[in-house]
Amino acid sequence: MNCNDATMLISAYADGETDRQQTRTIRQHLAACPQCAARHEQLAELRTRVRSEVPRYSAPPGLRANVLASIDAARRSEPARVRITDRWRWLTGGALAGCAATMLAWFVGTTVIAYQENHDIAMEAVTSHVRATLGNHLIQVASSNQHTVKPWLSARLDYSPPVPDMEKEGFTLLGGRIDYLDQRAMATLVYRIRDHTIDVFVCPRAVRMPPSPTRTIRGINVAHASGAQMDWLAVSDVSPDVLSSFVASLARGGPTQ
Amino acid sequence: MQAEHGGWTLSDASRFAELCLPHLDSAYNLARWLTRDTQDAQDVVQDACVRALKYVGSLHGNDGRAWFLTIVRNAFYDWLARNRPAEVVHDENDTVDAAADLATPGPEQVALRNAELRVLGDALAALPAQYREVLVLRELEELSYKEIASIVDIPIGTVMSRLARARGMLQRSPVLYAIGGQTARSAP
Repeated sequence: MNCNDATMLISAYADGETDRQQTRTIRQHLAACPQCAARHEQLAELRTRVRSEVPRYSAPPGLRANVLASIDAARRSEPARVRITDRWRWLTGGALAGCAATMLAWFVGTTVIAYQENHDIAMEAVTSHVRATLGNHLIQVASSNQHTVKPWLSARLDYSPPVPDMEKEGFTLLGGRIDYLDQRAMATLVYRIRDHTIDVFVCPRAVRMPPSPTRTIRGINVAHASGAQMDWLAVSDVSPDVLSSFVASLARGGPTQ
Repeated sequence: MQAEHGGWTLSDASRFAELCLPHLDSAYNLARWLTRDTQDAQDVVQDACVRALKYVGSLHGNDGRAWFLTIVRNAFYDWLARNRPAEVVHDENDTVDAAADLATPGPEQVALRNAELRVLGDALAALPAQYREVLVLRELEELSYKEIASIVDIPIGTVMSRLARARGMLQRSPVLYAIGGQTARSAP
């Protein structure tokens, strides 16, 4: 591999987006070519600077209000249209319905299992995150001080959730709230990194947790880790690798000193 | 069939509220970096929301974010064609950076503009749109190459080469040397 070909691959390698073959090739080249190794380091530096210095803009309140208003308007004008569509479906869909009934019977066993797996706590967590973000009740106790948030939560729950200080890893504590998840009240910590909000659900190890450690539901990432006493479930639109290392660090009790 | 099953009882407005609204910040951020203007960005996002509300019934699957961002991007390029037709870039070549000359400035303004490049964000804003958008999607929205490929409607290989080139442009920007430019040598 020459250095020209390497340039493009180095950038993808820094993003963790090379396949196994490419990764091997680029690692060999980086080990052999000090110039490209330096370039790789500069790229990492550039990323750090871009992510810390370039703003990620949030939608202004006025825009949000306008969009919500247009949704309301759409809702009001909808019922008539929905009824017509339903009638059409009813008239033309008779044969299809017969087929569907058979298929349903056929797949009922596996589908029910798949549905339950899909409808686990990760799904609930995403719904709850979305609801909180939309309704402005993301934070009930606003404080970057763990010693304020922890007692507030403990006073309202039958357990006392740890509230790790994650500032060292770049995650700022914004506060917390009580959310209702998996049929119980649950401590929810709210952190922020680079303008992305992260909800962290914390509870003693007694609930159903998602089978896979990281998932993406409706474009929102969910990562899970188990600690000594607690289970941790983080929900955010930050990238899956950032989220999973964050939640793993929380489960360990925060950044290692 | 399955998607229809999922969407059977939900109205379009509810589907939009559930699948797209949570990504309003992402939508605005992309539009803001593409238009480089607060008001224009809001116009683009509003237009995108109208479109999304109209077509959300055809969104099969769950990735509302990528779908919504695709619409925002399309709304931006339509807006660009309507409002600043001179900036529409058809050529894929990197020599075409017409999109960078926002106000078609004269020589004095160019000098001023270069002097104004004080912060890294300005250097990003000065990149041609097709490089700016992939960098914003990658670094600020933290999307995967696959998601970016689907939003920008280019092959993954092109995402790869555009990002590499965009980073090269950013690294050559004087801004990077002007302020500090200290290398933090820490382990990755």
